[in-house]
Amino acid sequence: MIGLTSPYLWYSTRATGIVALLLLTLVAFLGTFVANRIGGTIVGRFEINELHRSLSIVAVIFLALHIVTTVIDGYVATGWFSTVVPFVSPYKTTQVAIGTIAFDLILAVWISSLLKVRIKNATWRFIHWFSWIAYITALVHAALIGTDTKGASGLIFVAFCAGAIVVAGLWRFFGRPTRAGGRTALSPLERVAPPRTKSATAPFPRDQRPTSKGRARR
Amino acid sequence: MGVIRRGGSFVLKVNPILCDGFGHCHELAPDLVDIDEWGYPIIKKEPTPTGNVQALQSARYAVRGCPRQALRIERIADQP
Repeated sequence: MIGLTSPYLWYSTRATGIVALLLLTLVAFLGTFVANRIGGTIVGRFEINELHRSLSIVAVIFLALHIVTTVIDGYVATGWFSTVVPFVSPYKTTQVAIGTIAFDLILAVWISSLLKVRIKNATWRFIHWFSWIAYITALVHAALIGTDTKGASGLIFVAFCAGAIVVAGLWRFFGRPTRAGGRTALSPLERVAPPRTKSATAPFPRDQRPTSKGRARR
Repeated sequence: MGVIRRGGSFVLKVNPILCDGFGHCHELAPDLVDIDEWGYPIIKKEPTPTGNVQALQSARYAVRGCPRQALRIERIADQP
């Protein structure tokens, strides 16, 4: 195995870890936005969904960098197996294992999302719930093993992330729109209301739409 | 996004059991999907010619953007 002992690897591990945690926070928050049907006026709901999907890929890239720089850093012995198998790292077995568990769960969420069109939607949703556990596990990993969380700024950051995920979780469960209210999709295309020709492509003539007024606006 | 076949036409089909009224399809394909009072889609029933590349592309975006995978494109062959 390559045993590199440059301090820059250690710096990279710390930096990418912090950025990955920040990105995961954003991704989790955007996920609750999608689930709670935020958007549709200034930004489209589909745009929030696309941002959630795209940012998750960026987060996974930073996570990959975090893991690779940790493993190739020869100063602490972790080993390639410890990236996917928990409790095999000689260095700080438990703390690394918590990160490994987080990574495994994120991997499950990621792969299930890549296969979303091929698997049942119920399966995908079930696996997607793991992301909450994955996030909390990653947070615990950061708090326990992070070099920067020994200092005040890192602890403030982790506390901020913990607060953010608690808010996101509570809002996800209690702030969901009810079935009758708040489910109207007001697309930005509709709001601008360009003088569209009443061509055969429109399902309804504009003035005969079922409800253009009296919608429950939130 | 695959080969665009010029012949025939297509309609969007929604699985009403999977649909949860996210409304993404209406935002992505406003010419093919209207939305009802509760946020559920009202899909245009008349087939759109596949040659209408823009409409087909928006339909594909709507299928991809559906958070519940409730949409699909159904192709209708030309009558010989």
